[in-house]
Amino acid sequence: MPCAKKSPLPKAVFVCGAVLAALVAVLVWLWSSYGYRARQYACTNVAMGAYVQQTVYGGGAEEAAAQAARAVGDLEERISWRIEGSDIQRLNADAGSVWTEVEEETASLLALCLEVAERSGGAFDPTVLPLSALWDFGGENQHVPAPEQIETFLQEIDYRDLRVDTGESSASLKYHGMGVDLGAVGKGAACDAAVAAYEEAGGVEAAILSVGGSVGTYRQKPDGSPWSVAVRDPGSGDDKNAALGVLEMDAGFVSTSGSYEKAFTEGGVTYHHLLDPKTGYPAESGLVSVTVWCESGALSDALSTACFVLGLEDGAALLEEYGAGGVWVDAEGGVTVTGRAVGAFTLTADGYTLEERP
Amino acid sequence: MKRPALLGRADLALILLALGAAAVWLLWPRADACTAVVEQDGVELARVDLSSLAEEEVLNLGGPYRVRLRAGPGFIEFLSSDCPDQVCVRTGRLTRAGETAVCLPARISVRLEGGAGGGTDAVTG
Repeated sequence: MPCAKKSPLPKAVFVCGAVLAALVAVLVWLWSSYGYRARQYACTNVAMGAYVQQTVYGGGAEEAAAQAARAVGDLEERISWRIEGSDIQRLNADAGSVWTEVEEETASLLALCLEVAERSGGAFDPTVLPLSALWDFGGENQHVPAPEQIETFLQEIDYRDLRVDTGESSASLKYHGMGVDLGAVGKGAACDAAVAAYEEAGGVEAAILSVGGSVGTYRQKPDGSPWSVAVRDPGSGDDKNAALGVLEMDAGFVSTSGSYEKAFTEGGVTYHHLLDPKTGYPAESGLVSVTVWCESGALSDALSTACFVLGLEDGAALLEEYGAGGVWVDAEGGVTVTGRAVGAFTLTADGYTLEERP
Repeated sequence: MKRPALLGRADLALILLALGAAAVWLLWPRADACTAVVEQDGVELARVDLSSLAEEEVLNLGGPYRVRLRAGPGFIEFLSSDCPDQVCVRTGRLTRAGETAVCLPARISVRLEGGAGGGTDAVTG
């Protein structure tokens, strides 16, 4: 006997049922795509002279976000050379005399800085404080120093005279007058500290945060899509929300070094804050911004600084060593995408052209 | 042969209507609403539904820098601040979800929430 005749339902009802089932399926899909927003917590704090913006998913989101904000504040207390009693302030004060005991995290951050300094041939140098304090970018005393002053302070900058013992958690600077400035890695390191706090706090399904221009992610975005991180348009002036393009990333950390930050104009010339430790003047590598994507916040921050100073050719080679991705913008509006960023970065701004790596 | 239908036309219409309403409810608030969240050091000071504003209004936040915000249909901006750098005022109008403006000296931030899709998760640079 043919089965069709056994069907107890008239065709019309069957069709209606199918339509209803489809509608329910659509609703479930909508809920799973948008419903997770309900378990999402966002907040913005200020730390390290930058804003800390967090979006945290999961039942323990609010508490974890508060814990992460505290972790960033604690890090600042350890690594800011401006804060009396911080690890770095004491290290600088002891320069030329004894070894200084520092927190374990500070020692490993210093070790990471030394490694990038070595591998970049000094393009990134954590001992840049004498020069950065002289220029005082973003400070009340920012000015172009006299050439003789720059010449004098240049001699105090050499990462090879910074020694770090991670086993003993101590560090030393060889000569009096030297000084460590971790400003170039602070925001990236803050992303690391926050992500560690999410892990420790528990109850966090996933999270993304930005500290100034550095971005850190924790686990996968709950809706299954990649995290989308806008890269700021370096030519947009004051509008920090204008995007050059979007980097879609499943995991990792991103930092950007751009000449539009903390710049000032004197005598008709604009000076930006990314100093070349070899010349003592703002780096002239033909770039206006470099974005670096890798597995650690502090590393991405150090590498973006090194790459801005090195320029595209040498910088891209350095990123290759680290398996990092890069988005490079030159002064002529050319955008070059390298490493793992290839295929993950989409250019959206007008007035730029994608270029092949030379 | 005529058997009594499990669901009448009216029942079906009602169910469809209910499901349709549910779909609209799920999508509507996120597709349209854009909410400005004003915070100072992680503490929420104000929350303004920009899509429901018919005309511009000014929020006086006071404090040592006498920060004032201007909100209007679909936008919000720092109108004035006595801070030295004026970065917040020069940032201009925020109109899309995910955009932020910050007055660091006053420790006040404004960000736009909501708006399904289009917005990014974070900004680097």
